[in-house]
Amino acid sequence: MATLKAIRRRIASVKTTQQTTRAMKLVAASRLRRAQEALLNARPYHEALKRVSDSLLASAPAALGAPEGARRALMLVVVTSDRGLCGGYNANLTRLAEETMRKARADGLEVKLFAIGRKGAEHFKRAKTPLDGERINNLPRLATVGLARDVASRMLHDFRTGAVAEAGVIYAAFHSALSQRPTYEKLLPVAPPPADSAARGADYLVEPSAAELIPAVLRSYVEAAIFHALLEGEASEHGARMTAMDSATNNAVDMIARLTLEMNRARQAQITRELMDIVGGAEALRG
Amino acid sequence: MAETFNFRLITPTGVLFDGAVEQVTAVGPLGEFGVLPMHTNFITSLAPGVITLRLGDASFNEFLLAGGLAEVKDGVMTALAVEAEAPGAVDRARAAVEATTAEHRLAAMSMFDPEYEEAEQALRLARARAQIEQLRRAPR
Repeated sequence: MATLKAIRRRIASVKTTQQTTRAMKLVAASRLRRAQEALLNARPYHEALKRVSDSLLASAPAALGAPEGARRALMLVVVTSDRGLCGGYNANLTRLAEETMRKARADGLEVKLFAIGRKGAEHFKRAKTPLDGERINNLPRLATVGLARDVASRMLHDFRTGAVAEAGVIYAAFHSALSQRPTYEKLLPVAPPPADSAARGADYLVEPSAAELIPAVLRSYVEAAIFHALLEGEASEHGARMTAMDSATNNAVDMIARLTLEMNRARQAQITRELMDIVGGAEALRG
Repeated sequence: MAETFNFRLITPTGVLFDGAVEQVTAVGPLGEFGVLPMHTNFITSLAPGVITLRLGDASFNEFLLAGGLAEVKDGVMTALAVEAEAPGAVDRARAAVEATTAEHRLAAMSMFDPEYEEAEQALRLARARAQIEQLRRAPR
């Protein structure tokens, strides 16, 4: 059994850990609330843009494909977090990324990986997977319009010049603080909207012309999709961290209870031992 | 009171304006255009510049847009802006610097560079910011 002093030291250290994890949980909870708000705020834009792009893109499906002779390559954007201590959040994302890459390679596609977030970038570097680009240290906020535009313009540029034939993004879709699902979303080439919405495209006056508008719409569409992925990722990250820190705090509480019991036992054992010594000594003297 | 229609200005970070307006004036790829009630269904893109709303009570509201899309459908107008800000919030001194940088960048670029269009947009936005006072149409 460990000495009394060692156990006391353990308890003190677990207590500090508990304080840290509890504080981190509170911080994650408030960030999560903010991220969820941002997610909600982005919804009207997303919906309106989808309506506009559907009615417009339906009129010119030919403009959406990759240019002829495009390289058989897939640009894969992986949205992870910059900071750890969020449970399996990043591991789940990189696992899906690797699975997606395997599948793409099986289809004969070359994969160009683009990592957002330090954890993802570090993972791929450790795994010696070449990165085509990375954006790390997106602090204090991950989901900014600037970052989304930056990545979107890179994606569109590669797509338009024929450097890639496909592009998609991997992010954690936010369901609740307890559940975030890694998701792969294909962005380019844009899937033509379903036939029933195609008829609606006709009754618009389009200026200057559908063909000239499509690049602008495409750009907005990709930007919005990436921004959405960033928002979902941000909310998921804080949700995952909140859950992880909550269970860490609970573990610390359990551990302190266990250690306290052990400490009391050790103390009692010591007292008993000392008493035995005294009694034994007295007996010996009397003898 | 003149007739009004519903107008919404939406950006990725939220809805900036949602309400009844008498007239909307914005800048499209072919120049300035106005939308009044009963406008036909319409889609166009928006160039960086100022969008002016005339409200029902004859007051005005303005926003600086960094480009986007506009849609009129069944008498409801929706403007989708990549970014939008109130004219009062624009830092003109910084915008002037940005405009100069963007000009240099554009000058060094070929017309066929895939990023040309983007650089042009950036220049237009910076110029719109720098000249925000001249672009404001609402009487003050």
